[in-house]
Amino acid sequence: MKRIIFSAVASTALLAASGVSAQEIRVGALYPTSGGGAIYGGPAMEGHNMAVEEINAAGGINGRMLVTVARDTKLNPATAASAAKEMITKDKVDVIIGGLSSAVGLAVSEVARQEGVIYIATIPKTIQLTTTKLHPYVFRTASHTDFEGDAMAQLVKQSGGTKVCDIQPDYAYGHDLAAGLKAGLARHAPEVKVVADLRPKLGATDYNVFITQIMGAGCDVVTSGLWGSNFVNFAQQASPFGLFNQIKAYISGGEVASHEIAGKMGDDYPPNVISNTYELWYDHSVPGHQEFQEKVAARSGTKETAMWPVLAYIGVQFYAEAVRKSGGTNSDANVKALEGMTLMTPVGERTINPADHQANTGQFWGPMVKREGFAYKVMHPVTYIPAEIK
Amino acid sequence: MTAPLTAFGKVACLVILLALLALPVIGSDYLIDIGTEMLIFALFALSLNLIIGYSGNVSFGHAAYFAIGGYVNAILLTTYGWPLLPAFVTGVLAATLTAAVVAYFCTRLTDIYFAMLTLAFSMLVWAIAFKWRSVTHGDDGFVGVTVPALLDDRMRFYYFTVIIVVASIAVLWVITHSAFGRSLVAVRENLGRAGFIGIHTRRMRWQAFVVAGFFAGVAGALFGMLIKGMYVESAFWTQSAQVLIMTLLGGIYSFFGPIIGAAVLFMLERLTNEYTEYWPTVLGVILLVILLFLPDGLVGLGKRLTAKAKGKDKTEGAT
Repeated sequence: MKRIIFSAVASTALLAASGVSAQEIRVGALYPTSGGGAIYGGPAMEGHNMAVEEINAAGGINGRMLVTVARDTKLNPATAASAAKEMITKDKVDVIIGGLSSAVGLAVSEVARQEGVIYIATIPKTIQLTTTKLHPYVFRTASHTDFEGDAMAQLVKQSGGTKVCDIQPDYAYGHDLAAGLKAGLARHAPEVKVVADLRPKLGATDYNVFITQIMGAGCDVVTSGLWGSNFVNFAQQASPFGLFNQIKAYISGGEVASHEIAGKMGDDYPPNVISNTYELWYDHSVPGHQEFQEKVAARSGTKETAMWPVLAYIGVQFYAEAVRKSGGTNSDANVKALEGMTLMTPVGERTINPADHQANTGQFWGPMVKREGFAYKVMHPVTYIPAEIK
Repeated sequence: MTAPLTAFGKVACLVILLALLALPVIGSDYLIDIGTEMLIFALFALSLNLIIGYSGNVSFGHAAYFAIGGYVNAILLTTYGWPLLPAFVTGVLAATLTAAVVAYFCTRLTDIYFAMLTLAFSMLVWAIAFKWRSVTHGDDGFVGVTVPALLDDRMRFYYFTVIIVVASIAVLWVITHSAFGRSLVAVRENLGRAGFIGIHTRRMRWQAFVVAGFFAGVAGALFGMLIKGMYVESAFWTQSAQVLIMTLLGGIYSFFGPIIGAAVLFMLERLTNEYTEYWPTVLGVILLVILLFLPDGLVGLGKRLTAKAKGKDKTEGAT
């Protein structure tokens, strides 16, 4: 036992002492790269690496190179918190970028607060991160559920529907999105009534009970935050009932307009869906996007690319700009630099609000339709709904 | 297993204790962090071994008591602003009481039925932590635990953990080496025969389970304060599986086995995670090796190797 402890201590001490140079800018990346989260975390990590390589190829920041220290969160907040601590104390990272699920985002943010190291949340959407759990060292470049819910409410208004069935996954994101949608409806369409409030379990595979409830509730619009495989399962089971033809629109958050979902479902993708995404590989309305997308395509070896890389890419972009502006890696100086910072990203201009550390990250929204030249349904017309709550 | 400490053992314990006390002086923040976490998991694994190694039942739901201790302590400290002592004690008592109730039912069963029932109860605890959002914050996690100012410092919290864990290990040592501990081993070895000689086997298994729940609660309360948060994953069956593997890896037939298992598995996971995302594969291989080749864990392996070396010395001396 003694020997084991000594060798463990010795080996870790050796590791701790090795290879940390003051000249490097050490960037911690936290994404799930194994298990169920890997299909999102893997592409996100690609985007992260791409940003780091581009910056280094251009000579680094003030001559200092970026070095990535990556850890797998396994989608487990306790693991992510330990990993974040380890990256700070052992690998001496200057910043932590990443996170996927809301719980991981909150857990890493707590470590950032304790250790006084900046954390940039690139994917977690829970509103708490920039409200009740806000602290000086946390920033978010992802959107959040209040923006998303507000955009959905605007689309409900446009659809002309008056009775809404809301179906949300029963966990943090679904609850927060439902709240954001309700607040949005009160602002944009107070005449609209939510006639059914349904909460299937996250990861449920059988949606029949909910489908019949929706069919019987007499609603003309369905709103939802069912994402990923949740949406795929729901749509495949609801289509034979004609649910999607019976309503004016199925307005969905959770990025089911992304290539990952639409491409995977092909002809099974239901009609009347209006949804969102952070990025579309075929929409080059933002200057510089085409170039960015081609680089991602070259890395992934496919013409069509996922939307996750851009999220991680933007996180690195912001931190790099902060270091450029402040002239170093001091956390407090970089907090000042990030507050109010405006940057041009591959998906549009982003500004971080100095009051709540939230970037004004809007999303692309639009109906999903069949178009010539595409093997599956694509968004057309594409509308950027900015992140504003009026 | 029931033999008192040998002279070598006493020296080893002293050396380790001194090393633990000296760690912050020589170590970095990183070493202090992993030292703290390792100690907590060592206690967690040791508590489980009271059920597995001593009373001979496999529990698949030990994370429940870890989580209850952690959640109750965290909620009382943070939401209700209780001082540390009452919050900590109440957290541990809540874990102990739950263990007492669960054990009342589980000890009526043995073998796989026992294991399945412990799993079922632990998933109930998980479901409560997951669903009771107003109190536990559900799967957002109970983030931002208020740790008393006295302990809100890396080194001080480390020493606090050393004191609690070493004291707990000492108490567990006394328990397992008392008449109670020896009777438990008799129960493990032969339930029927132990009953015939007058041991109230069900009560003894119940008592072992309750003591195990108590110390799992202590470990959980410490863990929540260390990572300043409690998450539903800590009550999930994967957490129970992790501590079970720690215990098996170290060796269930030795008092110190689980401590070694916890330390080794913990460091392996940390180091593996730095280089590859294939930790689950590594874990699977470890589990296979234990089940196929190391039924008595690392301690058993060590014993067999020393026995072999000694045997060899003897034969060499004879010729």
